[in-house]
Amino acid sequence: MRHVGAIAGRELRSIFSTPVAYVMFSVYLVFSGFAFFLSLTGFLSALQQIQAFQRFDLLEQFNLNTSVIEPSLGIFSFVFLLLIPLLTMRAFAEEQATGTIELLLTSPLTIWEIVLGKYLAILVVIGMLVGLSALYPALLFYYGDPELLPTLAGLMGLFLYGAAFAAIGCLISSLTRSQISAALVTFFAGMILYLIDYFAELSLQGTSQQVVRYLGLRVHFDELVSGVVKTDDLVYFAVVVVFFVSGVRAATESLRWR
Amino acid sequence: MIEVKGLSKRYGNLLAVRDVSFEVQRGEVVGLLGPNGAGKTTTMRMLTGFLPPSEGSVCIAGHDMQREPIAARRAIGYLPETPPLYPEMRVADYVAYVAAINDVARAARAEKVEHALTVCGLQGLQRRVIGTLSRGFRQRVGLAQAIVHEPEVLVLDEPTSGLDPIQIVEIRNLIRELAQEMGRTVILSTHILPEVEAICQRVLLISFGEIRVDGALDEVKGTGSLEDVFLREAGPRPAGDDADDAPA
Repeated sequence: MRHVGAIAGRELRSIFSTPVAYVMFSVYLVFSGFAFFLSLTGFLSALQQIQAFQRFDLLEQFNLNTSVIEPSLGIFSFVFLLLIPLLTMRAFAEEQATGTIELLLTSPLTIWEIVLGKYLAILVVIGMLVGLSALYPALLFYYGDPELLPTLAGLMGLFLYGAAFAAIGCLISSLTRSQISAALVTFFAGMILYLIDYFAELSLQGTSQQVVRYLGLRVHFDELVSGVVKTDDLVYFAVVVVFFVSGVRAATESLRWR
Repeated sequence: MIEVKGLSKRYGNLLAVRDVSFEVQRGEVVGLLGPNGAGKTTTMRMLTGFLPPSEGSVCIAGHDMQREPIAARRAIGYLPETPPLYPEMRVADYVAYVAAINDVARAARAEKVEHALTVCGLQGLQRRVIGTLSRGFRQRVGLAQAIVHEPEVLVLDEPTSGLDPIQIVEIRNLIRELAQEMGRTVILSTHILPEVEAICQRVLLISFGEIRVDGALDEVKGTGSLEDVFLREAGPRPAGDDADDAPA
């Protein structure tokens, strides 16, 4: 496992040597800033109305966590849906297209080192995106007094959601040489996992509804965002990551046979 | 240094390489000759552990490729047909990365990278981005990454393809130096006959996935030219043969 660092380091330098990374970060900052701004102004106008109508009894329903941070994180996760396919598309497809995979597979590396190195690099970028997202709640802590632990749980939820989605994206990237198809398929896979929750709510009932909802990313993400850290949500993300990263390993191994 | 026994590679119904066996001693430069699609690249990919053989075994510097793949791969420097380069990286960073994944100790890395770049005539280009280099320089970067970890065995797949005559001569001199002065074992594939005569002591002629000729250059040539040998031996065997069109 001692080569993981070298592979992750190269991967990161590669990500930041193309414009894609900078476009991604800029797009993320614009959209997330706008989302935060909208949540915050919505919150302020609600407070003004409470003051105007003298309904101070409603005040306890409003706080910075549920009215600003939670909806913002929800929108951030939607932006992730667009950005993570761009981040993962090249990870394995590019090495197959340019033939550099032959260098990796004939070097004294294990397949786990290759796969984990690349996945680690992607996790670092997702960590940076989540770090940037943390700036908005940080502003609220400076000017107001939201609760710290639910905020941290929400940011962790965003990171885990990104990590799980990226694992899926890596598997799709490892199955093709074409970066564009990897990005598109990853995007649609993410869409399905994001929206499956609504489909289940609309068209299913009882146990089948619960099973299908459990499969989607949304439910588990929402739990964490609302500040509830439960073992089953953490297990869900862990299982998704382990399952898909093992899939990447198997797909990379199979390149020798294809 | 290299021991190949009964190596075969099957792609579906196609037998791309059939029952290939040979040995290469330390310091030898062996030319793997053959027409396009004869199975040269497939053979080399099995030698380097990129492709697993359907049958047979490969042993590099005493390490069996199946049982000790990591040790065997560490003993090999490999230049594939298309140099495996990352176009966005700088020359020295790329070679240092290859050194790192080949277990060159951190302390020795800078020096070995410098040495490999100097040997391949890349001084002054350390900071250049690989994507901006010409074909010939890219080939040299590919060669630099193959030798940076000072492997005992070098496997070079068409090392001079796409180079101009001056570059070809330089690369040939470099290969000769690596074998004679540093005792490296070299196996290189080519379909350029004068190349074999210029640098190889031994010839392996492979056609339709089979070894047709194996011997010292002078013996193989006899009184004729290498071209005569090639034309005589590389053609199809009269008996029905299903091994043509092996993927390159």
